[in-house]
Amino acid sequence: MSTARREVRVTVNGRAYSRSVEPRMLLADFVRHECGLTGTHVGCAHGVCGACTVVLDGVSARSCLTFAIQADGKEITTVEGLAEGDSLNALQQAFHENHALQCGYCTPGFLMSLTEFLRETPDPDEAQIRERLSGNLCRCTGYANIVRAVQAAAQRLREEGRT
Amino acid sequence: MSTHDEGSDTWVGKAVLRKEDQRLLRGFGTYVDDVPEPRGTLHLSMLRSPYAHARVLSVDTSEAESLDGVVAVVTGADVADLIPPFAADYERPGFKISHRPALATDTVRFVGDGVALVLAENAYVAEDAIGLIYVEYVPLPAVADVEEALQPDAPRIHEDLEDNILLTGGNKTDGFDAVFQSADHVFRERFRINRVAGVAMEPRGCLAIYDKAEDAVTLWTGTQVPHMLRVGIARYLGWSESQVRVVAPDVGGGFGPKMYLYPEELLAVALARQYRSPVKWIEDRLEDFLTTYHARDHVYDVEVAFNDDGTVQAVNVDVLVNSGAYSNYPMGVGLEPFQGPLNMPGPYRFRQFAFTCKGIATNTCSTGAFRGVSAPCVTMAMEGMMDRMARHLGLDRVEIRRRNIIHSDEFPYLNVNNQRYDTGSYVECLDRALEMVDYEGYLAAQTPERIIDGKYRGIGIAVVTELTGQGAARYKARNLSDLPGFDGAHLAIEPNGQVIASTSFSSQGQGHETVFAQVIADELGVSVDDITVRGGDTQNSPFGTGTFASRGAVLGGGAVIRASGDLREKIKKFAAHLLEASPDDIVLEGGHAHVQGVREMRVSFYEIARAAYGLTDSMQLPEGEDFGLEALATYDPPASSIANACHIACVAVDAATGIVEVERYIVVHDCGRVINPLLVESQVQGGVAQGLGQALFEEVLYDAEGQLLSATLMDYMVPTACDVPTLEFEHIESPSSDTLGGFKGAGEGGVIGSLPAIACAVGDALVPVGANINRLPLRPDTVLSLIEGADG
Repeated sequence: MSTARREVRVTVNGRAYSRSVEPRMLLADFVRHECGLTGTHVGCAHGVCGACTVVLDGVSARSCLTFAIQADGKEITTVEGLAEGDSLNALQQAFHENHALQCGYCTPGFLMSLTEFLRETPDPDEAQIRERLSGNLCRCTGYANIVRAVQAAAQRLREEGRT
Repeated sequence: MSTHDEGSDTWVGKAVLRKEDQRLLRGFGTYVDDVPEPRGTLHLSMLRSPYAHARVLSVDTSEAESLDGVVAVVTGADVADLIPPFAADYERPGFKISHRPALATDTVRFVGDGVALVLAENAYVAEDAIGLIYVEYVPLPAVADVEEALQPDAPRIHEDLEDNILLTGGNKTDGFDAVFQSADHVFRERFRINRVAGVAMEPRGCLAIYDKAEDAVTLWTGTQVPHMLRVGIARYLGWSESQVRVVAPDVGGGFGPKMYLYPEELLAVALARQYRSPVKWIEDRLEDFLTTYHARDHVYDVEVAFNDDGTVQAVNVDVLVNSGAYSNYPMGVGLEPFQGPLNMPGPYRFRQFAFTCKGIATNTCSTGAFRGVSAPCVTMAMEGMMDRMARHLGLDRVEIRRRNIIHSDEFPYLNVNNQRYDTGSYVECLDRALEMVDYEGYLAAQTPERIIDGKYRGIGIAVVTELTGQGAARYKARNLSDLPGFDGAHLAIEPNGQVIASTSFSSQGQGHETVFAQVIADELGVSVDDITVRGGDTQNSPFGTGTFASRGAVLGGGAVIRASGDLREKIKKFAAHLLEASPDDIVLEGGHAHVQGVREMRVSFYEIARAAYGLTDSMQLPEGEDFGLEALATYDPPASSIANACHIACVAVDAATGIVEVERYIVVHDCGRVINPLLVESQVQGGVAQGLGQALFEEVLYDAEGQLLSATLMDYMVPTACDVPTLEFEHIESPSSDTLGGFKGAGEGGVIGSLPAIACAVGDALVPVGANINRLPLRPDTVLSLIEGADG
């Protein structure tokens, strides 16, 4: 395999990063170890659990199935980019208020997947929410409070006219 | 900010939002793989056996060693002296000792057994090098199935043992045979319970950092039991405990499998010292499925003797447990075999009981604790028998349970296993759950054919007990030398007046930082916002047993109550001195100490702390008192405390596809005095989800040669948001009379109730086709074969 390093320039949460990496380096490893943003977690490394989900040019992506060089020139948002200053954003706050997390390992992936979902589906019904959530696995909560949190966040965002 | 209703008098009982959420929601949690790697960290990757049973003739490491970035390739022979083979059991009647080398020296005993390892400069190179190690194996006959492993001609897993029976146990109450034989009826059934995996979302991993100056190692690892790991590592490496510090940072789910000492942890610690370098190992999901201890894989032969009136007279059970290739530290091989009979009586008051149990070695990954251990399995067996008996006698399924369960006027109750039930609400939970589901209405609408819109519909009822908060007496009765049973808490008031607590527990999402703060807040009269709770670090927390078996609320709650009590007395003495009053007249409330009845005569915790730490311009030390504001306490409860619940599931079984959908799920739950109702409900919801997974689709599958067939999350199905209904949930509180604070544990009941509730509901739905539910999981193909009349 070729291990000749390639240049990757990305913007992560508004900050530019330029690194020389092996072509095989996964985006998850790039974000975690090159950028030091360890909020993105790897749960399965085969694209099922969704813990590693980031938003890549506005679209959610499994960073364990994406090479860092595929993200070259793109804009990435990770969980660290969600909070608005010192305040949790509406989705994070809804997770807190509805106790939608226990161990918290899968949570960043849920938040990133739902960030895209709520932008596209501002007024989802429960079936739509569950369908979307089924792309991420949580072993602790049994999902009920995550569903409640998404409903609460969607309502808050609609009331604030942000969707 | 925490929610605390104005005018309410306690923090305990409130739905306080979690303190740990802020960092976890921002991506600022620190799981093992997030701990900053020191410069020079070596990445460890394991070469694992592709054979279930084989002789290892040779290991050629030369090509791997020559790869750029590889520092060392290590074989079993290389570490045999460093890490002697470890045995998790001790010589005692009924047990045989299995030895596990950290890396195989001559024999591999399951697919995934470690054969060699690479230490390299990064994880990618370490994995590359694994592919360049060449091992010569001679495959041996293998056995994966527990009943086949019992046969006299079965391959022997450990050739130094005479057979594969690692454990045999049993007991029979006096007079059993006469009662059993004189009963009106005896029903027999064989229940097979599927092997499952914990599948914590964070795989296992560890980082061992060597301190050259101290000749000691700090091990960061995602464990439920940091103190037990430290004891175990010292034991097996022959080091002193002072050379090992274990830190569990944030842990991404535990559920049982993370309460064990694993070979990779011993290897990382030993090699960090040998190579004078940090050593890091993070497994991937394939390794997790191969090597993180599985659970269940039990066979129960049950006989229930009962009378015409439906009362159970005697129960006999023979338990077979597939223990896998090796016994595990610290629980040993006895955990699952003995927990079945221990939990078999559940809420029922029969007075004669006999059991035998066996733990059998096979060429599979070891099995061990997973949420509920054997309790979900035996509860499914008992509830399944109750339904059979009811149908046979023409009794309602609720009525037969009423005739057998312990009623509230019978507490305290000593069951047939001499297990004390101090308080409980079996009838009350059942009645309320029936109301919530409208049982009468459900039955009225149900036809004998059960089928509506192409779906068979049925209802399942489970009356559930959960054995929680076990202390020293329980573990010592089982001769578990490395499980102390008590837990500890240290409390200090900082010079700024805020409270710092540390406990012997690590947390895997249970919310210890919040719930222990609630308990302390009531004891000391401060806000939870002024309390920080820590744990998981053997250097900075008191010694204790750890987080498993629904122990946290009982043992941790009790330990912080005891430490708070000592600290409170000390605070009162300083406050009394400052206020020129008697300590007996001091009341702690709202972050202040005031004189009883005179609220304006008060000092803040800040002022008290300044005095206690000598940070005042004049001497403020009460006579006979020492400087400082700290207290250390341990707690060992007098008995296990038994939580209880009623679970009711309503299912729809698609007649064409065999797919089971859980349409409604009701739980009425009693874990004694509830510390935080929001967190308890979520524990139960999560437990029900795991039980639903085991009941309907999860299964670790080996083929006859011991190859793992379910090694990815596409082959091993865990429930998604489309599978799990939102619980209809209520609390009933029967405070424990035996534990400090009245708390009972709540971690496992969700799983214990959902296996029987769902299995019984499917059984009810399929009554018209005469299906017999005696095995899990109830996957569509299994259900279809039941519908098509293949009698179980």
